[in-house]
Amino acid sequence: MKRNPTAFLKEEYQKLVEQNLDWKLRVLEGPSAPRSVVEGKKVLMLCSNNYLNLSNHPRLKKAAKDIIDTHGVGSGSVRAIAGTMDIHMEVEKALARFKKTEAALVYQTGFAANSGLIPQLVDKGDLIISDELNHGSIIDGVRLSGADRAIFKHRDYGNLEDVLNEAEKENYRRILIITDGVFSMDGDVARMDAIVNLAEEHGAMTYVDDAHGEGVLGENGRGIGAHYNLEGKIHVEMGTFSKAYGVVGGLIAGSRDLVNFAFNKSRTWLLSASHPPQVAAAQLAAIQVLESEPQHWKRLWDNTRYFKKELKSMGFDTGQSETPITPVIVGESSVAKALSDKLFENGVFALPIVFPMVAKDKARIRTMMNAGLTDEDLTDALQAFEKCGKELKII
Amino acid sequence: MHVLGFVVNPIAGMGGRVGLKGTDNVVEEAVERGAEPVSGERAIRTLKMLVKARVEYKREIPITWVTVSGSMGADLLEKAGFSPEEYVVAYECGGTTTRKDTQEGCREFQNRNVELIVFCGGDGTARDIFEVVDAETPIVGIPAGVKMHSGVFGVNPESVAEVIIAFTEGNLGLSEVEIMDLDERAYRKGEWKIDLHGIAVTPFEETYIQSAKMMVRGPSEEELKREIADYILELMEENTLYILGSGSTLKAVGEELGIDKTLLGIDAVINGNMIEKDLNEKELLHLLEKYNDSTLIVSPIGAQGFILGRGNQQLSPAVIRKVGIDNIMVVATPAKLQRTENLRVDTGDMELDKAFSEKRYFRIITGYHTMAVRSVEVQVAGR
Repeated sequence: MKRNPTAFLKEEYQKLVEQNLDWKLRVLEGPSAPRSVVEGKKVLMLCSNNYLNLSNHPRLKKAAKDIIDTHGVGSGSVRAIAGTMDIHMEVEKALARFKKTEAALVYQTGFAANSGLIPQLVDKGDLIISDELNHGSIIDGVRLSGADRAIFKHRDYGNLEDVLNEAEKENYRRILIITDGVFSMDGDVARMDAIVNLAEEHGAMTYVDDAHGEGVLGENGRGIGAHYNLEGKIHVEMGTFSKAYGVVGGLIAGSRDLVNFAFNKSRTWLLSASHPPQVAAAQLAAIQVLESEPQHWKRLWDNTRYFKKELKSMGFDTGQSETPITPVIVGESSVAKALSDKLFENGVFALPIVFPMVAKDKARIRTMMNAGLTDEDLTDALQAFEKCGKELKII
Repeated sequence: MHVLGFVVNPIAGMGGRVGLKGTDNVVEEAVERGAEPVSGERAIRTLKMLVKARVEYKREIPITWVTVSGSMGADLLEKAGFSPEEYVVAYECGGTTTRKDTQEGCREFQNRNVELIVFCGGDGTARDIFEVVDAETPIVGIPAGVKMHSGVFGVNPESVAEVIIAFTEGNLGLSEVEIMDLDERAYRKGEWKIDLHGIAVTPFEETYIQSAKMMVRGPSEEELKREIADYILELMEENTLYILGSGSTLKAVGEELGIDKTLLGIDAVINGNMIEKDLNEKELLHLLEKYNDSTLIVSPIGAQGFILGRGNQQLSPAVIRKVGIDNIMVVATPAKLQRTENLRVDTGDMELDKAFSEKRYFRIITGYHTMAVRSVEVQVAGR
């Protein structure tokens, strides 16, 4: 029989629809802001990663607009050939200064950083040791590498030590320990101090994906390195411009050797075009805002503390989060879905995370705090949580 | 509309509180000792959760139940709030129910092509059902028994409701789990023997990998078993005797080798060929005499994660000593590992158990060139 070359497209999509696993895109009309319009409805946005609301900051918007007049809207090439502009170099210089590292490098996205760099750092004859709850982009990066892999229990550094001791029985050339900085489902933070200690003992390299920590953790949002006073001691601090920085793009910060190695070897970096100048200009402005306007970072944490405290006093279970990611754990998946729907009706946009994505009894609404939320916004959000929680007999 | 079987063993769990290791063959004694039924109440907790999800959380849950009469099903469905149109009684049980009623009921369920059998009971009930239904029919157990070594049980009655909902929504894969049971007659004579009776399928969440906004589906259980098998093949050395333990992960290793590995037995392989299958202790010792180098490959069995001492008594202390603790290789899919926090052993030999305690942890192969490390605990029978 002659094959139908494209029948699977529809079939596989239909299957996802039937299983309710397809993505239904919700369209924002206008900016991603603390008060957004989603599908025609005005809602409080509690599920964006725009922690500091910098995507709407006047300095970022102006920087992006202005540079179009002098640099155009495209970079014309990959960085390695003819796509490196002065603005790209400025961003990397500012980033290294802000992160207090020797050097820094900007990738097209965070995913491109992980999937491009990890397979270059380790290969056959090496071992990569990964937290079991690491982000999908790390897992893809690990899968692209020829190295052996070991998985340790989530944030269980005793188990990591057992793995390292077991690994010493083999004659590995290099060992790379890799972890998320902030785990995006629970908002808990990797103990980088413990990891760095173990790594030093065993001569292992350390790599942290600080996507949810950049702009959030450490003084003025310098990231997880600053949070633990380990600036310059983590071999690869990887992060993103797409969350707290309010723009888009991946980044790594570390030694000059690391950066030289990384841009000469990462295929993702070498084979995709560089950011258009307006993206780079906005990135630079974001760093400058973080350096000169600490109020956003302070406000984010004030909001986080207040929101968590109020939810807890209402009787909600907010889990073990140490960051602006605040899960509201309600138990059964049905309850989480019902709560999310009800919250949306009441003007709060927060998505449910349900079984089988989290354990059966740990279904939740995942909320993310934002520096742009005013006192009034928070009151409205909390009132909606209280009302819906009571209606569903969660509290 | 999904057609699901529902059966409750009304006497399951009765032995526990009165100091019996189960109610197989001794229900009268349990009643005399003052045992009261517990399983009905536990089953109702699951059913009520389903009703609540429908009424309060607006979940559809389109189910038609096929069940057994009275306290084995229908009464409980009614009590939990299912309407008479939502269930059919496929089998009428007598006044005093026995395992025969469970089995006849399940035969009827199969005749009516149920997609999933939900039962409430313990290891004995799981085994009764497994004996009469074909191995492809998924089974999930509401835990109510004294013994629950089998892998078919939910953590608690409410979690089984979650599994049922996700199953009806098509969100779950199927996973192979061991049906295990204590030999109660032997136990009452002071002998602790847990047998592996077979491999059933149960609905199971596939491995999910954390992703930025949500999760993406990782490789399936079957793919991971093949990965493990590929890696084992790479590691296998010439002229070394490989003793392959029981279970589906090691069966997959056999498939990659192109041999007909037994599912429940212990088989021996050398240079890629199976030399003997379904070996007992004596035969194993005989083979170990012949070969200088040997490796034993095992996978955690049952709900408690035993690698030795449950369901594989052939691997006696003498066999383990002859192979050597450091030549034991452990394999498990990540999903299986998620269910078993630590590895357990119970060799029945104090000195050997001590040697396992001193080893502290084992490396476990969980995929292609992928490992994890788990502590090993000694847990002595009956405790």
